[in-house]
Amino acid sequence: MICPRCAHEHVEQLFTSPVAGAWDVVQCQQCLYCWRTSEPARRTQRDSYPDSFKMTVEDIQGAPEVPAIPPLTRRS
Amino acid sequence: MAYDDLRGFLQVLDAEGQLLRITDQVLPEPDLAAAANAASRLGDAAPALFFDNVHGFTSARIAMNVHGSWANHALALGMPKQASTREQVEEFIRRWAKFPVKPVYRDNPPWAENSVSGEDVNVFDVLPLFRLNDGDGGFYIDKAAVVSKDPEDPDNSGKQNVGIYRIEVKAKRKLALQPVPMHDIAEHLRKAEEVGQDLPVAITLGNEPVISIVASTPMKYDENEYELAGALRGEPAPIASAPLTGLPVPWGSEVVIEGVIEGRKREIEGPFGEFTGHYSGGRNMTVIRIDRISYRTNPVFEHLYLGMPWTEIDYLLGPNTCVPLYEQLRKEFPEVQAVNAMYTHGLVVIVSTKKRYGGFAKAVGMRVLTLPHGLGYAATVIVVDEDVDPFNLPQVMWALSTKMNPSGDLMIVPNQPVLELAPQAQTPGVVDKLIIDATTPVSPDNRGNYGNQVRDLPEMNEWLDRLRQLTGAR
Repeated sequence: MICPRCAHEHVEQLFTSPVAGAWDVVQCQQCLYCWRTSEPARRTQRDSYPDSFKMTVEDIQGAPEVPAIPPLTRRS
Repeated sequence: MAYDDLRGFLQVLDAEGQLLRITDQVLPEPDLAAAANAASRLGDAAPALFFDNVHGFTSARIAMNVHGSWANHALALGMPKQASTREQVEEFIRRWAKFPVKPVYRDNPPWAENSVSGEDVNVFDVLPLFRLNDGDGGFYIDKAAVVSKDPEDPDNSGKQNVGIYRIEVKAKRKLALQPVPMHDIAEHLRKAEEVGQDLPVAITLGNEPVISIVASTPMKYDENEYELAGALRGEPAPIASAPLTGLPVPWGSEVVIEGVIEGRKREIEGPFGEFTGHYSGGRNMTVIRIDRISYRTNPVFEHLYLGMPWTEIDYLLGPNTCVPLYEQLRKEFPEVQAVNAMYTHGLVVIVSTKKRYGGFAKAVGMRVLTLPHGLGYAATVIVVDEDVDPFNLPQVMWALSTKMNPSGDLMIVPNQPVLELAPQAQTPGVVDKLIIDATTPVSPDNRGNYGNQVRDLPEMNEWLDRLRQLTGAR
């Protein structure tokens, strides 16, 4: 299973369905995209995932910090 | 009249024919969001939706579109479900006049029935989380009232904040939260981070409907949202102390999540389809560590679909955005008749006013930009005459079509502050703002050829009452 959003190969399971075997919730460990295995292909499969939502490593590293972390005035 | 918890309100919605139970099994995605998205296209009396048969879950109970129509919003205020938008805004204004009504502490909150702490915490066990929109980065919590205190003034209950902020679920005990700089939690966080501290928070879900309304209301930094809740519901809001943080939380919440925004930490979050009708892109956002979850047995997960307007969030941000702007404008200019700031949380504001003299309407328009909520919003302000109802959009369009001459009636104010989510800004956070004067010029501003305006006949109002009675009796 690869991340549909950033194509990273390290995907971890976050949760499994209370009804055994129905679905899993999984998460990419690079971009932190989270999906359920029962979702439509446009949200779970790399080749169906919309290009406009895809994310690259550069997108992640260059992501703006919101809100900006203020300068430390003093440690209390 | 007042609701102490969400379940009480759901019962009333049901009794009024405003709650639709979907008993067929649905998929968590895409069905829950698609149904709520569809509910927002059903009109001004759209019902709330309740699901308790969701594939893969054994005990999911999900409520959506709870505030998602004028009928539901009226019932949330204890008004008849037929109350018009303008009537609801005027009632809101009347009740705000009673502010502040201090909250009261009450014992045995229902959310204290169950709790889980520390490493045992798994938010997925408590809430049947699911995705809303296609491009969302994960599963969100977007209707929780988040409580925090000013770290420099923790005993000042005025400076406490209760606000709704988007929250992404990142792991079993990790969340992200978006503190928009123009809103109060960002101020609390800044003060904590400046001294290298975490900010304790209590995230409360499934609240009685007035709590959600006040948590979406732009209030002054030192105004207490529970005190407005008391004024709106006609009696003090019941609250209780959250067990871990001691923060004051609503007595009737379904779920109370306690933890901290970890100071000086950011992590990739989103995107999320926002109330602006656009996604906000992946950004490095704050991180919350969950330390304890308290929850009612078989909790109801109240969730809100938002997207291409209007959806539930527009009703939730509708009347409550109008009222503070109206009150603040009238302090300076008693000529102001009404304010409609319901569009995209006040990114467009329509003000109806009398005109003291030539140019006055433009001054009123300018004042909107410097009101506390105007700073982050009010990208376009339309000023109309006192006899144009700003909640009557056909009348507003008439005013634009006949009273607005671009030569002299448009003011562009450059490089004003605006919330970063406003997608039209070239640089996020800064945008030119526009004031449109769609009022009839008055002396000594003698532009145009208006002559005599046609006015409603003096006898019209009496006939209006009569016709309403006759049609009501049919």
